[in-house]
Amino acid sequence: MRITRTTLVTGVGAVVATALLAGCGGESSGGSDADGEITGSIRFQTWSLTPTYTEYLNGVIADFEEANPGTSVELLDQPGDGYSDKVLSQASTNTLPDVLNLPPDFALPLAQQDFLYDVSQATDLPATYVEGSVEAFRFAGVEGVYGYPWYLGTDVNYWNSQQLDACGLDSSAPPATTDELFEQAATMAQACPENYLISRVPGLGDFTLEGIDILNEDGTEFIFNTPEAAAIIDRYAEAYANGEMPPTVLNSDYLGNSQLFTEGKVAWTTGGATAIDSFEENNPSLKDNVAISPALNISPLYVQGVSVAADSQNLATALAFAEFVTNTENQNEFAHIANVFPSTQGSDGDTYFTEDDGTPSAQARVTGFESLQTAEVLTPYSVNGAMNDYLGQQIALAIRGDISGQEALDTSVEKLNDLLARQ
Amino acid sequence: MTATDISAPAAGGQPTRRPRRGGGPARTTNRITPWLFLAPALAWLLVFSIWPSLNTIRMAFTNAKPLGGNERYVGLENFALILRDDQVVNALLNSVVFMLICLPLLTILPLLIALLVEKKLPGITFFRTAFYTPVIASAVVVALIWTFMLDDRGLVNGLAQQLSFISEPLPFLTERWLIVISAVSLTVWKGLGYYMIIYLAALGNVGKELHEAAAMDGAGAVRRFTAVTLPGVRGAMLLIAVLVCVAALRVFTEVFIMTGGTGGAGGEALTMVMLIQQYSRGFSGDLGYASALSILMFAITVVPLLLLGKINSRSNA
Repeated sequence: MRITRTTLVTGVGAVVATALLAGCGGESSGGSDADGEITGSIRFQTWSLTPTYTEYLNGVIADFEEANPGTSVELLDQPGDGYSDKVLSQASTNTLPDVLNLPPDFALPLAQQDFLYDVSQATDLPATYVEGSVEAFRFAGVEGVYGYPWYLGTDVNYWNSQQLDACGLDSSAPPATTDELFEQAATMAQACPENYLISRVPGLGDFTLEGIDILNEDGTEFIFNTPEAAAIIDRYAEAYANGEMPPTVLNSDYLGNSQLFTEGKVAWTTGGATAIDSFEENNPSLKDNVAISPALNISPLYVQGVSVAADSQNLATALAFAEFVTNTENQNEFAHIANVFPSTQGSDGDTYFTEDDGTPSAQARVTGFESLQTAEVLTPYSVNGAMNDYLGQQIALAIRGDISGQEALDTSVEKLNDLLARQ
Repeated sequence: MTATDISAPAAGGQPTRRPRRGGGPARTTNRITPWLFLAPALAWLLVFSIWPSLNTIRMAFTNAKPLGGNERYVGLENFALILRDDQVVNALLNSVVFMLICLPLLTILPLLIALLVEKKLPGITFFRTAFYTPVIASAVVVALIWTFMLDDRGLVNGLAQQLSFISEPLPFLTERWLIVISAVSLTVWKGLGYYMIIYLAALGNVGKELHEAAAMDGAGAVRRFTAVTLPGVRGAMLLIAVLVCVAALRVFTEVFIMTGGTGGAGGEALTMVMLIQQYSRGFSGDLGYASALSILMFAITVVPLLLLGKINSRSNA
């Protein structure tokens, strides 16, 4: 075959240009009509729900396809780790799935850049979902609501009752407040120097628990460097100095705490209602040795939602499916299977969430559901990873005793305000 | 006129045609062929190396964000921020100290090990394999194992306390310089085998007759090492020094895993790559600043390379 120079240069140039442009992303191509016909194919992306809940998800998809002939839904599930990076790469290359599972902190930056559809235009959300869950997807500075609330979660306290009872504490009356926590941690450290009750460092959520404002009213400046917040850190520093926390707590993250609990190295951790099952599965000696109580002070509220990509080529179908997945019937069914809590109104009448059958799993569920009634979002969604990292590093310095709690907070607020201004 | 004069008329009186320069299909195909072979690699290099590098330089002068939107040119603002950022000074110091400790250890120790396992003795393959095994182990897994060992209640502290070397556990995972030293130990342990292989290849090229001649001249083992072996492996040594410098300045996994991603209390054991990762990740990552840090990192990596190149050229002169 004859290959001329012109043909070759043109061909190679075209290939390279295509490859380069493919990585450049570009402007959103614009979605279809939200009021159009419900038909065609869409993609639905979940976050770490398969294979455990594949059967349920396929069932929901089959029901939707049957109710809406001419539609087809492809299920995509992404692994738990690195989900934000995956969504980020999908958004930056304009390949977001039509319908996707997002928590509000992931939805916020996408909504700010017009990647998500304002679902309040399509659905009367307050009529179906509890108010707090809808508010979680309403962001300051962006008009609209950017996700259908799906399932809710909160943390409860898990105590190693065997260790508590062996170390001079009463597992039937575990700490209910931060004050009691520190008192009992001191008792435990004296009775059992090899065991620890506390294995965490405080964060922004702890300040919210004590009624300290994290941001000013318009969300433009961090203001949590108060003497009250400093006192919380100093209290942890004192406990650390007294040997009431393991030294590696300075490096630990949230998962580290639950990991140490599973290994039997610490006597307290927090976790969702499903955590009890994994504790017992990963360490069978914890079976019947875990006491459950509501979170200290105020319970945290975690919200999962289902958002719709603004440039979906089948917007009407995507909206209909997102609403279908999160309707009362489907949410209730999922909540029963996954031990999570529905965000639809009227769920409090379901005895599954209110009656304890005596199993640890049911006890965690009922405790969590009761806590949910007063649960709050403890950390503002505008706090990003770099901010959390910096604050954690400064707090760790204070807990080790290198600087005071107030110094750690002042330095952090200055840096975080700088990072916030650059967002 | 000679028989080879192709411009001369041929026997039949018809002039012989001079071959056209570069026009014929055969010549074109010949020229194109090497480029066709190179094209996949060139395209790969362009898309995954040259283009991202150029884009990083561009972004360093902007306020780029992962999701785009309102991106604007900010001049040298990101570089000015670097000068005011205490974390950069810390991270830079950690990375450079890490490199300065790793450099001699990973340049000299593998040579000594290579000399030990070079000899053809029964069972020597076992030792070669044993030294090389850490190289093929996953860096993350190895770092996790070392983290368990260096924990306050880990093997190292436990043994040291039992043998009464220490009364209190050493904070290997929470104190800045102990974190750096722990990470150096891990890196050296894991890297010895790799560089040992390079030295083994280089030692194979050092002529035995040189050693024999030196021995006949009365040179002892040390003298033969300095006068014969070292000059023989000088090229490999410089290559290893360059590789160690570049790899050590980019240290990430070891410190990241050992400190649970935090860089220790106050982030005081953060390395440059950890800092770049910290700023660039997530939806609201500061890509402009992270790019400026990457350029600084690149500039710093080039310095030891230039120094080593200078040393090499002087030695050759």
